[in-house]
Formats: sequence, structure tokens, C-alpha cells
Amino acid sequence: MKARFCSLVLLCCSILYALGGEPWAWGPLVSEVPPPLPDEWGHNGIDGFIYRGLQQHGLQPSPSTDRANLIRRVYLAVHGMPPSVAELDRFVSDYSPDAYQRLLDRVLTSPRVGERWAQHWLDVIRFAETWGFETNSFRDQAYHYRNWLIEALNDDISFDRFVMAQMAGDVIGVDAATGFLVAGPANLPGQIGKDIESQRQARQDELDEVVRTVSEGFWGLTVGCARCHDHKFDPIPQRDYYALQAVFSGLRYGHRRLRGDENRRWAQRIPAAELAVEQAKEQRLTLQKQWRLAPSINPAQQEHRFAALDLKALRMKIKATANGGAASLHELEVWSATDSEQNVALASLGGVASASSYTLNANQSRHPDNLIDGKATFPWVADLAGEAWVQVTFSGVKRINRIVWRQGGGSFPVDYEIEGQSENGEWRSLGNVSGRMPHLEDRRQADKVMLSGVSEEGVSEILRANASLNRNLAERRRLAAGPQVFAGFFQTPDETFRLHRGDPMRRREPVAPNAPTLFDSLRLESSASDETRRLALARAITDRNNPLAWRVMVNRVWQHYFGNGLVKTPSDFGYQGADASHPELLDWLVRRWQESGGRFKSLHRLILSSAVFRQDSRSQEAGMASDADSVWLWRFPPRLLEAEALRDGILAVSGELNLEMYGEGFNFFHNRGGLADYRPKTSFGAAELRRMIYSTKLRMTTVDTFGAFNCPDAGQMTALRSQSITPIQALNLFNGPFIADQANVFAERIVSLVGSKAEPLEGQVRLAARIALARELSDAQLSVLLPLARSHGLAAVCRVLFNSNEFVLLH
Amino acid sequence: MIDDPLSSRGTRLMDRRQFLSTSLDGLAAVALTGLLGQEGRLAAADLKSGPSNTTRRHFPARASRVIEIFCAGALSHVDTFDYKPELVRRHGQPLPGNDRFVSFQGENGNLVQPLWQFQPRGQSGKMVSTLVDKIGGHVDELCFFHSLTTKTNTHGPAENAMSTGFAIDGFPSKGAWINYALGSANKNLPTFVAIEDPRGMPQAGPNNWGAGFLPARFQGTPFSTTKPIRNLRAPAGISSSTDEATRQALLTFDRIAAQRSPGDTQLAARLASYELAARMQLSVPEVADIDREPAHILKLYGADSGNSLKAGFAKNCILARRLVERGVRYVQLFNGAYASAGRLNWDAHGKLKEQYEGHAEILDQPVAGLLSDLKQRGLMEDTLVVFCTEFGRMPMFQLGTQGRDHNPGGFTAWMAGAGVRAPFSYGATDPFGFRAQQNPLTLYDFHATLLHLLGLDHERLTYYHNGIKRRLTDVHGTVVKEVLA
Repeated sequence: MKARFCSLVLLCCSILYALGGEPWAWGPLVSEVPPPLPDEWGHNGIDGFIYRGLQQHGLQPSPSTDRANLIRRVYLAVHGMPPSVAELDRFVSDYSPDAYQRLLDRVLTSPRVGERWAQHWLDVIRFAETWGFETNSFRDQAYHYRNWLIEALNDDISFDRFVMAQMAGDVIGVDAATGFLVAGPANLPGQIGKDIESQRQARQDELDEVVRTVSEGFWGLTVGCARCHDHKFDPIPQRDYYALQAVFSGLRYGHRRLRGDENRRWAQRIPAAELAVEQAKEQRLTLQKQWRLAPSINPAQQEHRFAALDLKALRMKIKATANGGAASLHELEVWSATDSEQNVALASLGGVASASSYTLNANQSRHPDNLIDGKATFPWVADLAGEAWVQVTFSGVKRINRIVWRQGGGSFPVDYEIEGQSENGEWRSLGNVSGRMPHLEDRRQADKVMLSGVSEEGVSEILRANASLNRNLAERRRLAAGPQVFAGFFQTPDETFRLHRGDPMRRREPVAPNAPTLFDSLRLESSASDETRRLALARAITDRNNPLAWRVMVNRVWQHYFGNGLVKTPSDFGYQGADASHPELLDWLVRRWQESGGRFKSLHRLILSSAVFRQDSRSQEAGMASDADSVWLWRFPPRLLEAEALRDGILAVSGELNLEMYGEGFNFFHNRGGLADYRPKTSFGAAELRRMIYSTKLRMTTVDTFGAFNCPDAGQMTALRSQSITPIQALNLFNGPFIADQANVFAERIVSLVGSKAEPLEGQVRLAARIALARELSDAQLSVLLPLARSHGLAAVCRVLFNSNEFVLLH
Repeated sequence: MIDDPLSSRGTRLMDRRQFLSTSLDGLAAVALTGLLGQEGRLAAADLKSGPSNTTRRHFPARASRVIEIFCAGALSHVDTFDYKPELVRRHGQPLPGNDRFVSFQGENGNLVQPLWQFQPRGQSGKMVSTLVDKIGGHVDELCFFHSLTTKTNTHGPAENAMSTGFAIDGFPSKGAWINYALGSANKNLPTFVAIEDPRGMPQAGPNNWGAGFLPARFQGTPFSTTKPIRNLRAPAGISSSTDEATRQALLTFDRIAAQRSPGDTQLAARLASYELAARMQLSVPEVADIDREPAHILKLYGADSGNSLKAGFAKNCILARRLVERGVRYVQLFNGAYASAGRLNWDAHGKLKEQYEGHAEILDQPVAGLLSDLKQRGLMEDTLVVFCTEFGRMPMFQLGTQGRDHNPGGFTAWMAGAGVRAPFSYGATDPFGFRAQQNPLTLYDFHATLLHLLGLDHERLTYYHNGIKRRLTDVHGTVVKEVLA
């Protein structure tokens, strides 16, 4: 493998570093008292810092937006849904001085907060419920992480715990939270070549995803760039990359038991399940004895012994397989009865294999030669289901007294005859299985099974006993494994080496676990346990003496209110990142947030309470002339709603949104992973009308209608969604059958609220606009919508509203 | 040190100061230009250095649009375009020095000669196998790259590598990069169209035409003659008069609202997006209406074939021509679908002879027809045709099968048309077609050359993302000057 993660050399940056200038965000917090506010504007410290910036750029803040738009903005920003009409009316008509703070109380205690803000973090860590890459198969039970995240944000856990849970949730009793570490794509074992290079490369790729998730997600540091060489821009030597990788060298992607109430309930049921298994075994044994049957075959390694014979060939005539599929065997061994036992079937000893057929409908060899290669690499598989035979002819006449066969998969023989050919060419039977208890995996119907000396009723009874034991075994296995979660599971750490140019075959010196050298050392020994490593790193990330992670997270929160962060490169706080527009404000927010114990909701309240957030969003000549991107926040910068907020908003407005929380995801497609074309569902039941965050997230796949609205595909980490506007969005939103359906539902809802007589049509149109846009229509706009309603119905008006700029933008 | 990342987020469509003096509809027109990428945004560094957004290229070039034919599943070079007499001579013998060589799926058997005869074709006498007989008729127009290599032997990642330069998911496709650089020459159609094979999606799916971290408007729009753009028509149950009245009401409604916030680009861009969408509703069905092509054209491509897969692919080839005729910048045309033990694509591990005869029947005439048609219409003057696959196949059969395993160490692609030297063959594999030996090429070199043919410098076509100014060619790539006409 060649170096894959390399970056461009920009000499000027290296020079900057050489000159000793360090990015501001890596230094200690500056503590500055917020600048004074003008008399007529401002509510808190945020406003002081912003006002100073505006003054310095010759700009003025905008006045407050109207109350109706303010509540819409608050709801969309914090919940990702517009307010209900009742909430709208309540706030608009509440003129008490603390009306806004009481609104924030209500908004911030709603469970919608977690559902909205979880999505932002899922974007960053590219969470998805498929593996990505070659097969993109479904990652069963990955959704528990999403549920944990929503709940954690609703419970307002501290930033310290937020980090600790995701780094080491297994240690502190929240198993699902470590889904964070394995949120990225990875290859399934079957997609990895069998050679050592492919194995090591795949392991390196797995760990690389974790290093990126942690370093970009928490620190805004592109440590991943140092995989192959020292970082080109930031002081991150290649050794740092491997030191950080070593922290996670005990991590594996996979399922683990999800501890908690559910797990305890399951555990209590295990003894009863054990008992049921024992009873079923007992019953089966009783039948076996009653009919004088020998024990079942052992397909992993089934032996048949017989009195020694001189044979030149041996064959196995297969009459039926366990699952009815095309017969398959890995090996057919024929052992000589000589002092030095030999498997005389082996090709290396002159054996020649043949078969009734073999399939070419596979990527690898299914040839009968596989039966006699002495290896378990590939099996022989017949071309078609049904009867089949395999034969081995020896290099001469051999004295034989036993054979062994090994299964190739689930379609192993359950009814067969072994025959040997003597020197004179005659075939004679050497054994069969009609006197044996049918195998547990034998799925034949009773009428297809003949057992010597057993009546028809007896066969049916035996197969029922098999089925009963299978059921009970499955239940015991399920309960014993406990409820499962796809998350990190942890083993003794592997030794980590620095890899020359990132090549897994070119190991250099061993590297001990540590944080990048620009932070304090974690002081870990190479022998430190897996837990110790992760706990140490988690503590270091939120260490108050190292404010970088705090700055990065505050900046992310800010970004989701204003469209851009105070640092516009939210996952890059290094030399390549953007300068902060208001570094003192960011530090002030970090201090305030730390003082609150790192509670996210206190940060939300601080930002929501500012005059900056409450500003009007409309353009102003001076602002547009010198700061069209609203970097200095002379207005609330309008922006496109995210796909999730758009869809949830449509459903909320139409009245169809199902607010059921948590649980397994619903599906936008008929399949939940894999290669084949994803066919979108076109009709939706209540489960599919839940909030979009509860949909099963498929990597590299775009959801119908809303996917076009810059929805990240979980291929790469997305700290900031594109704000692209495309005609495909317009086609989807204007023509999508989902939108048309919802317009009809919305129209029906309006009619049921207002009444359907001709007279209240204007009232209907006005109410529809009020629900959808949270404001009264202007006369000019009414004069557009009312004639449309008259000629083409209220649903047409609803379709206009869902497509309108005012609905689709957060402003 | 870095370009303003905001400027690349797709919201800034022009110098915003101009907006204040522009009416909303004027604004919408400008925004529309932006939606189409007509402003031709090169690397911001170039824009800064002067009024270079009027010059879309880094240097002059003949090619201004691309049709890429992507044979999904890994087309065997030794059975098609890479003639190896030594392989014929040593048929049935072990690969010297690599007896029982272990590749992707395990051990390989002995060398197996091409399953089809090679014959000299054209004036150049270039050897081409009868499997691709009709493409062979165009051999004098083709420029072969015989020494390509790639860095993974797995289909999905290798398709990613061919389409995006990176084996992992999530990087911008070359079509998206070119769209980002050059923009559109048609205001009614998407700038970059991905045409899926009638048999289904390729292994790496939309990653082949994704925008990665480039703004979404640069991504490929997938549609084909068998799979139209979703939601291109008014929803069922809505009459055309209601639909049109609703659209007009929407545009008026938004114009009124926009008066409250003059100069806002997003408002104008959304208005423009609806106008473009309305035009696409007409122009996309028009361009996809292959059946209105004259009978002799349908026949030329094989669109009249009784084999519905061949007819389907042939129609897709005609669609590709119709798209470039109308100024679409990049058309990615897939032949072959996802992994299916070789049934639906070129991944023949088990029964190569039988499967390839079926696949070649679908591929050969339509591609040959496309080359003829582009030439007779003069489109080859400024159109570049790229024929590629994700990797090659082994000169041996796999042990116990009648097919060939993956070979990332040497494979063939070809180009034809604007700016390309032809007939010409660059590079060579070893005498068996096992490894690139003479002038080995990376995909970075291949991509750098492709960009160069379009007048783009692969080192200057960059986009800032997560701490790095990204390129299609990462930090590698050398233009293969020898193949330039």
C-alpha cells in the first residue's frame, strides 16, 4: 500500500511554524471582560464582543426580529421543527418581561433538543448503520449509540462525561456510547485478503478511522495527516499519530453486550431456558433409545470405520443435504489401514477426485480437487441442488479401513452411501446413515426421511423433537448473549509501531500510547492496559488546563446557531484552519461554559439569550456592501434548513409527525444495506413518519427527496454541511410525491381547523401560512395564494408554502 | 494562507456588492449562472490573482467535454487490447517465478492464452482481440495506456480510486472536479451526468459520481434511458394546469418575500433553481428521447438489437452523445453493474469465456457506434472519450476455475478524441500481461493527463477541506506528455 493520506506542501505555513507563531487556539484561555454595550442594544456578554467587532468594521447591529419569527427561529434552531400554533400564540401574546426566558425554559427542557443536536454530532463523526466500502452491509444494533446520544443531550450531561462516555463508556456503564469510536466505515473480515499485508492494512485503516474521529472531532486537529509522514502544517510528528493510535490498539469493531435493565431481565430468564433445553435433549435421547438409533453424524468431521479392504476407488453417493442446497464438502479423507496411516485420497499421494458436477457460479474454485488438497481453503460444491456424488481414485490398490469427510457449509450430506471399488471393479457398500438419529440441522420434511426400523409416526416424532431442541437452544443462546450493541469492544492492546510512510509492512520503532506532543504527556507505560489508556486520554481531552477541545466544541455549537463558527473550519484549529473572527468571545464562552460544569444547555441558553441571536435577518445596505457573508454578525445570517429539519418541519406542519422516540431505525428504502440498487419506499406508515434522525442511516446512499438537500453520506467526517442550492432540490421538493401527499394532509388539517365552507377560504389560507411560516401573510402574498386556492384548491397553496423560501430557510 | 472557506461553500455566486444594484430577476439570472457553475470556479488562488474567472482553464486545450466509458468489474486486458504473444506460447505452463501465485481469491493455476484470437487492425496494425471486434475497427483513433496500475485489488475501493483518486469513500469524483473547474455550457441540463448500466449500479455506486466535499451542485446527476431522474414530472394526481399555476404562484410569492431582503443571494439562487428545474423537466425528457433518433443511427449503435441489455446500453451511448452535443461537460457511462460472480459485470472468476461473450455483445457495437457517430458529427474535435476499468485480470486462470482473478499490477485503458495522440500505445506490461513493466503509470498520472487534456493543471485544481487543500491527484501525478497530440 502506498501512502494514502497526504497533503499538499504549502511552504508558507511551514515557515509560519518555523517562525514560532502558534495557532491561538492551542494556547491558554484569554480572560477578557466583555466590552461595554451601547444603551439601546444588547443583553449579555456575547453582544459586547460582537458589538465591538461591528464597530471596528463600521457596522451596526440589526434590530430584533419580530416575536413570531423569533419563536420560529428558536424552535428550528433548537428543536429542528417549527413551533406549534399554540406555542406561537402563547409567546406572541405574552408581553411579560421574562416571556423570552420562560420560552427558553420550555424549549430547552423538551426532548426535541437531543434529537436535533444529536444530528450535528452524528455528522461530525460520520455515524452510519452500514459498514461502507465493498459490501456496505447493515450494521445491526448500531442504533443504540444514536439513542444514547439523544438521551445524553436531553439529560444535559457535562462535556467531561460526554467525552468520557464515548471514549470509555464500557468502563463507566454506558456500553452504547463507545459506538462513537466505531462510527466510521470499516471492512468486514470477508473483504480483507488472506495475506498478512492485507490484514495489517485493514487493521491500520480501522484504527485510522478512530484516530480521525477522536482528533478531528474533539480537538479539531487533523492528526490523520501524520499517518504517512510528519504533518505538513501542524507540529504533529508522525510518531504522534502512532502514539494516539496506540491508545486505541485494544479496540475492535463489533458487537458487545448492552448492559442495563434489559440485560438483567434477560439474564433472569436464562435458568428457565436452560431447563427447557435439558428437557428437549432428554426427550430426543429417549426417542433415540426407543428406536435404537446411533448418534447423529458430526459434519465437522464425520468418520466411518469398516473392516479393512483392498480398494482402488471410493465414492460417496449423496441423496440429501441438510438444508436442501447443492451438496458441498471441504475434504474427503480415505485412510489406509497400514502401520503408517496415510490419507491416500490426497492429490499429493496420487489421488484423483471427480464429482457428479461442480459449480462455476462462484468467484473461487469449487472443483472436486478441493476435496483432496489437504486444506480447508475452498470446498467442493455441486452445480445444482439434489442428488450428487464424489469419488476418489487412488494411485493403486490401497488397504482401507476408514474414511473421514468434513462439511463445506450448511449443505452437508445427511443421507448418503459410502461405496468402495475393489480391484475387480465391483462396488460394494461400506456404510450409510439410515441407522442414525437425524442431525439437528437436517431440515427435511418427515416424508423425505427414512430411518431403518422406525415407523412413519416415529420419524415425525423424532423430527419434532429436533425442532423443539433447536428452538430452545436458539432461545438460550440469545438470552445468554444478552441484548447486543454495535460498539467498541476491547482486548489487550497490540503493540504499536511507527510505520514508514504509513506502510503496514514497514514497521519501525515501537510507540507507546500518548496524546500528541503539543499536549501534556499522558505518562503511560507501553504495558498500560487498554482501559487505562482510554481513560487517560478522555481526562486529558477535557482537562481545564488544555482548552482546545472546549473551544472546538463551543465553536461547533455556535456554528449551528449562526451557520458558521467563530472559527470557520470547525474540525481544523491548526495552521491550515481559519482565523477566529472573535477569539476573545470564544474564550469567554468557554469560561462561562466551564463555570456551568460544561452543561450544553447552559451554553445554548447563553447564546439564545444574546441580542445577536435575536437580530433581524434581513439585508441592510451597509452590511451587504462590506460584509455580505455576515461574518461580523450585523444580522442573523439566513441559511438553508438541513434536510432533517425540512422534512420534520413538513410533517409537523401537516400534523403527521410521529414523535415516538428511540428504538430501532425506520427505513427509507426496502433494503438496509448491501450493494444492490436501493429502492426508496413510496408509502409510509406511522413508523416512517418519525423524525428523520430515527431513520436507518446508510453510508454512501442518498435518501429520496430530502437527501438532495446537502445531506452528508457518512463517507467522510462532515463538520459543516454544504449550503449548495441545486435544481435537483427544486425537482424533489416541488414534484416529490411525498410533498404532494403532505400538502393534501396539511390542507385537510386546515379545513378541519377552520371549516370547509366557501366563505372561510381566506381564513384557511391565512391559517396555513401561519402554521407553516409562523407569520401573517402580507396583502400582496395573500393576493397570490387566495386565487390559487380558489382555482386549484388549498393543497396547491400548501405545496407553495412547503417550497417557499421562507419555509426552507432559517431566517 | 488558506482560501476563505466560505467562498467555496456555494453560497457566494458573485461579488455581492453587485446585488444591491441588481433587480431580483437579474439576481436570479446571475444566481442561475452560479447554479450551473458557469462562473467556472477554478482554485480560489487563481481567482485571487486576477480576473481569471473569465478564463476557465489554466491553459488552452482542445477538449472541452468528456465521455467516460467505465467497464465495471475489471475488464480483462489480456483478452481484449493487450496482446502478449509470449502468453500464447506459454499457454498451460506456470507463470515463471510465480508458480501458484496467490492473488485476491487465492492460488492461481497455469498461464492461459487469450480466449479470443488477436488480429492486426487498422492502418496501424495494432493487435486487438475478436472479442471487441467492432471497437477494434476504430483502433487507429485510439491511444492506449497499457501500463496502468492501481493500489487496491478490491472492486469497490478500486472503482473509488479510478473515479476519485482515493480508494476510500467520500472524495470528489473526477467528473465533479471537472464540473467544479469548468462549469456548464448548457443552461437546461445538469453539467455532469452519470449513466448507469441497464443491469444496475456499479460496485462503488454513487461514489463514482459524488461531489465528496465539493458543494453538492458539482455532483453527477444519475439518469439513463432505463432509469430517469426521480421526481422529474409533476406528482400523480396534479393536473398540468394546477402544476403550472402552483409554480407561478410560488415564484411570485417568493419574489414578493424577497423584496423584504434585497440582495440576498440564497433567495435568488432558490428562485433560479426552480426555473432551472422547470427547464430540466422539458430538456431532460427531450434529451433522453432516444426513440426519435433516425433508424440508421439506432442501427449504428445496436439500439435495435433484440438483446434488451445491448439495446439498453446502446441507447445509453446515444444518450451520452446527445448530452455532449448539448454542452454537458462530463458524461460517465457505465458498462456493467455490481459484483455478481461475473453475471452482471466483467468480474469473471468462474466462467470467463461464456460470461465475456455475453458482456462483449452488449459493449462492442454500441461503443464502436458511439465512436463513429461522434466522429461523423465532428464532436471528436472537442470531446475526449475515456475508456477505463478498475483493474485488469491475471494471465492465469484461478486454480480450479475457468476465469481470471483481479490484477491491480497492470491493466489497460484508452482515450480517443480531442488532444490525444492516435494511433498510439503508451507503456507495456511484461510478456504475460502480469505486471506493468515499461513506463508504469499510477492513476494519479492518468488523472493528471486527463485534466491536462482539458486545460487544467492537476496541481492547481484544489479545494480546501478538513485542513488540506485537496486535489484529484493527492500529492502525486505526472502528465504523460507522450500521449498529447
